[in-house]
Amino acid sequence: MAQTQGQPVKVIRQRKEGTSALARAEERTALWLLAPTFLTLLVLAIYPLGQVFVQSFTDARFATAGHETSFVGFSNYRNLLSMTIRELPPRIDEETGQPIVQDGVTQFESPFRILPREPVRYGAVGQFGFGGRRYVLGATSPDFIRAIWDTLVVTVIGVSLQTILGMVIALTVATKFLGRGVMRAAMLVPWAIITVVSARIWEWMLEPDRKGLFNTVFSYLGLSDGFTNWTGNPSLQLPSLIAMEVWKTTPFMALLLLAGLSTISGELYEAAEIDGANKVRQFFSITLPLLMPTLAVALVFRTLDTLRIFDAFQVIFGEGRLSMASFAYFQLIGARNVGLSSAASVIIFFLLFGFAFLYIRILRVDTE
Amino acid sequence: MKRLLPVVGLGLCASLSASAFAQQNATIRWMTGNTAQSVQFANEVAQRYMDANPHTIGGEEYNVTVEIIQGPESATDRYALYLQFFQAQSGEADVLEIDVIWPGDLAEHLVDLYEYEGAREAAEEHFPAIIENNTVDGRLVGMPAFTDAGLLYYRSDLLEEYGFDGPPETWAELEEMARTIMEGERADNPDFTGFVWQGEAYEGLTCNALEWIASFGGGTIVSQEGQIEVFNDQAIAALETAAGWVGTISPQAVTGFQEEDARRIFTAGNAVFMRNWPYAYSLLIDAEGPVTTENVGVTTLPAGEEGGTPAATLGGWQMGVSRYSSNIDVAVDFALFATSYEEQLQRALVVNNLPTIEAIYEDERLLNSPVAWFADLLPVFQSAVARPSTPTAPRYNEVSRAFFTAVHGVLMGTTDAETALGELEFTLEELTGLPVAGGAQDVASR
Repeated sequence: MAQTQGQPVKVIRQRKEGTSALARAEERTALWLLAPTFLTLLVLAIYPLGQVFVQSFTDARFATAGHETSFVGFSNYRNLLSMTIRELPPRIDEETGQPIVQDGVTQFESPFRILPREPVRYGAVGQFGFGGRRYVLGATSPDFIRAIWDTLVVTVIGVSLQTILGMVIALTVATKFLGRGVMRAAMLVPWAIITVVSARIWEWMLEPDRKGLFNTVFSYLGLSDGFTNWTGNPSLQLPSLIAMEVWKTTPFMALLLLAGLSTISGELYEAAEIDGANKVRQFFSITLPLLMPTLAVALVFRTLDTLRIFDAFQVIFGEGRLSMASFAYFQLIGARNVGLSSAASVIIFFLLFGFAFLYIRILRVDTE
Repeated sequence: MKRLLPVVGLGLCASLSASAFAQQNATIRWMTGNTAQSVQFANEVAQRYMDANPHTIGGEEYNVTVEIIQGPESATDRYALYLQFFQAQSGEADVLEIDVIWPGDLAEHLVDLYEYEGAREAAEEHFPAIIENNTVDGRLVGMPAFTDAGLLYYRSDLLEEYGFDGPPETWAELEEMARTIMEGERADNPDFTGFVWQGEAYEGLTCNALEWIASFGGGTIVSQEGQIEVFNDQAIAALETAAGWVGTISPQAVTGFQEEDARRIFTAGNAVFMRNWPYAYSLLIDAEGPVTTENVGVTTLPAGEEGGTPAATLGGWQMGVSRYSSNIDVAVDFALFATSYEEQLQRALVVNNLPTIEAIYEDERLLNSPVAWFADLLPVFQSAVARPSTPTAPRYNEVSRAFFTAVHGVLMGTTDAETALGELEFTLEELTGLPVAGGAQDVASR
């Protein structure tokens, strides 16, 4: 967003040095022509966005008539983002005064006894060991911190897999072979299915008993007992979701990359062939650099899309596991907390903004 | 055109008579679910009400048209939609179906039915526990339409085959029976399992876990008087017992089951016991599969220990009237009609929903129908345990989510019951601001 809005300004400024009257008149006309667009944008995008910003500083409640809304400053943000790390002391046996050891593993105190409760209560997000000691990460909104983490994991792993697989598919489909047209059309099917529908299909395939495709196949191959709880077991939840995301959006990635590939002139490869470069060298010296702008656009699209993932989480996990967007949704509908939900949305907004900015910087999308 | 004529004629007559007797036309909208069965039944109810036109309501005559709006089937989605109506103060729907856990939450947007003619008399016929649940600060915000409670379904043929003379009375007995039968049946059927229930992290798990805890004498999470009572030895024992079923008498995957997942396994003949709501029985009535009403028994859920009291979680739906309706008098009259004796009886016979009026359980028409067993389980429905939705309103959703998340962690083996419930107690304290039963020093000493 920032980039596309910034560019025309730059162009106009360049033109202004030594402009003729005609050029200035044209500029004025252009501004008039743009006015309706800006107005529409103001009403449809900027106003609601501004409202979310304002609400994020209040304690507004949804559908609660008898509630006076007041400004609470940054407290919603503090509630969402406050974190602390505490060391967990080992559990001491009251009789011997020695740490309790069970099966060779030192037992540590439960986090809820250690984490601070005043002035606000911290809940445990997770534990980690370091140098023989045990620490707990506490947060005032463990759900939100977990949601951020889960969304980032899905984004980073999911988008990486989509990019690699998309590239492989694009390179394959770009070569000439029999049935290429059919192949290109067929590959788009997963992308064409509405996410809610494909999430439901995956939900069925992931059923926790032998009604589900995966369990049937796995038990047939002797890899499991056919009762794997794909969407309920915390350690299998994200991998299942990522598999679905990759299945669904790899075609989009492949399609964009395919478009990029078709712009690379064949002469370059002929020249490389004459210079004796092998296929791998050709890929890294010609294909990849020339594909970079396309790749950057595709990555921006997919990353921003995945960061605000909602439907797949909603259909497959419900309230069982939250993405950032479904956290905001449940805060609004389940808890009627407009203020907190808005603050979460603003945080999502800035995260997206940050990612977009990073991509533009790192991949140099803005160089002409 | 031919078909239109009588309609036009009727319309003319109606409008003529309206002017003659000062009758008023009124349209009210009723939001229902969207399954074919529920829509069809709703249409029948609406038609019966319209056939009885004109109605005398508050001394005036009305000719009422009832329109049915099909809302989302999922309760969560319906709740979200209602909130949107209320936020906009829209009278889009006049009569609303209210889940048993919502009265506390939605009270401020619903009409106090007690202020309208006939409601107080009608309320006296229904189960007192449900009327109490629907009464918020002395205002009756919903008239019970039907009730629900958790039940134990069992395969009477298998129990007999393995030499048990009746359904289990305690959870320990259930475990033993399930284990024996499962071991025997597994020889021919590797998909066979002992006990199926609802273990996914959602509202249904709150219902299941409340039954375990209450049947062990561990209270009801938050008491109706508003004290947090979830962290106690009986509750810990109850959760430990349930966690012990996962992967033994229940499939590992039970932690991903909702009602229909459990029901399909049971009707496929792959389980001895099932915890479910009464609706599951109606699906057995016309069934031709391995499991039919012939070889299935329905009874109360087991108790925690010998001589203990079994518990069943209260479910069910009410009819409420939106404060933003432009025709409140008529809407209340319709809500009373739809929850009346005759309509509840029809509901029981047609869609197998349980009446909330005790007298219906003695009605000959019910006793001569396939759901005559309703009468045997009357005590269960009368004494069902309410979820703590009214004392924790308007935060019940968050309370329930915190509870089922904690329980799910115990079932998955990621936390032990003591830690999970200890942590939950603090969470509930912070969410609701309610006191902990037994006082603070009791907690500190643990």
